[in-house]
Amino acid sequence: MIWVEGHLVSPGSGGVYGEQMVRGFRVWDPRRSKLAALFHLGKGPDLEEADRVLYLGAANGTTVSHVADYSGVVYAVEHAPRPLQDLLVVAGQRKNIIPILADAGKPSLYLPMVELVDLIYQDVASPLQVEILIRNMLFLEPDGNLVLMLKPKSIDVTRSPCDVAGEAHDDLQEGGVYIDDEVWLTPYYPDHVAFLCRKS
Amino acid sequence: MESYWFGDREGQVCRPAPNDPAILAGRIELLAERRDASIPDWRIAVRCGFVRDRAEYVQVLREAAITLATKNLERGYQADHSGLIPMVRMLEQIDHAVNLLTERAVDWFRATRPGFSRKLAIPSGRNLIAWLHKDADEALAEVLEEIEHLMELRMALMKKVSLRAEGELPNCSALVGGLVAARLAAEAGGIRELAMMPASSIQVLGAKQALFSHLSSGSPPPKHGVIYQHGRVHGARKENRGKVARTLSAKLAIAARIDYYRKEADREFLEKSAEIIRKAGRKA
Repeated sequence: MIWVEGHLVSPGSGGVYGEQMVRGFRVWDPRRSKLAALFHLGKGPDLEEADRVLYLGAANGTTVSHVADYSGVVYAVEHAPRPLQDLLVVAGQRKNIIPILADAGKPSLYLPMVELVDLIYQDVASPLQVEILIRNMLFLEPDGNLVLMLKPKSIDVTRSPCDVAGEAHDDLQEGGVYIDDEVWLTPYYPDHVAFLCRKS
Repeated sequence: MESYWFGDREGQVCRPAPNDPAILAGRIELLAERRDASIPDWRIAVRCGFVRDRAEYVQVLREAAITLATKNLERGYQADHSGLIPMVRMLEQIDHAVNLLTERAVDWFRATRPGFSRKLAIPSGRNLIAWLHKDADEALAEVLEEIEHLMELRMALMKKVSLRAEGELPNCSALVGGLVAARLAAEAGGIRELAMMPASSIQVLGAKQALFSHLSSGSPPPKHGVIYQHGRVHGARKENRGKVARTLSAKLAIAARIDYYRKEADREFLEKSAEIIRKAGRKA
């Protein structure tokens, strides 16, 4: 990962969403991207130039654009039509983003397009977050990485985020996921936790 | 045989697909539907003679994916290209704004006149603004004028929503009027969504708070939501209202389906339904 003057940055042409630039690099703001927050906390798998990434919950393409700056190709899956309109603009400016309009819970819909990947990154607000990750594991290389940005509040607002995360931890393990690390994204994102995993 | 987005392979024989984004997008869709595609590998695409290298593989796939996503977006928006739903939402927002602004204007007026009380016989709604206007100082008068403009805008938009709903939802509109029909569709999330909804859901559309308080703490279930605005429901005797709402929503569920699939008024259905709804209101 590239750091300039204390900022996490990514190489690429700017002006995707009004991000700051330092010395020709795009600043990757930990307050606007959970993945940047994870890197700022000193965790997360380094993104390599040859990496193939499956990105679930691509939204408007903010984080996607930074991931694309670092990696080889990003398969960006988004379910909602309006954010996808933005994502298509971002994909138009970058040669390595494959935009996909589909429900991440139904991988069969995009299976014909997505190859085996080195990293699955998931950031979706759904009560079925854990289930969705498990269903998408068929795209992961045997030695690939999984990063799940869990929003406990999307699973159950009435219970404590800690309890919900604990349950998600067990469900992941049951689903064949080996958990390397569990990182709470405080102070950037209160009540969000990143699970860094592999196939067990 | 193994099917990939870039071609079919049978043993050592491989037939590449035509290298055209539109054709490839259609092929991806078909494969997803049939559920018999294999996870693609760029090396197979090269061996197949479809592309020269990985860079070309990504480039061709990207173009096909953008074509497919754009097509799917257009398809999604075509389902409701009339713009009825955003129109209704705007109308509701303007309603909300007018009410808030009016309340603030009364507060302002009251602050300058210690003798003023809402208990006095003051007019309501549109007349209230005119009444305040007579006595207001210059600054307040300017604000009141803008509120009046908003009210005019609201009336005009209401008529347009109603008219458009009569075109898009002819049967629902015949049963409950264009405005209520449009509100139901907006609350359901779209015309298609309304057509897919069971009658019992239509009955309580717009009564979210009451419904969830019923589900979570066991308060009495809501009898009606948006359809309360229909004369037959709020005009019915209190003990009868639930029944009218139930009957009306049952007919609305059918009407919404006719609207979605045929988009034309069905006389016979409408006459029969009107009769049944009328009866429901009559019996005690």
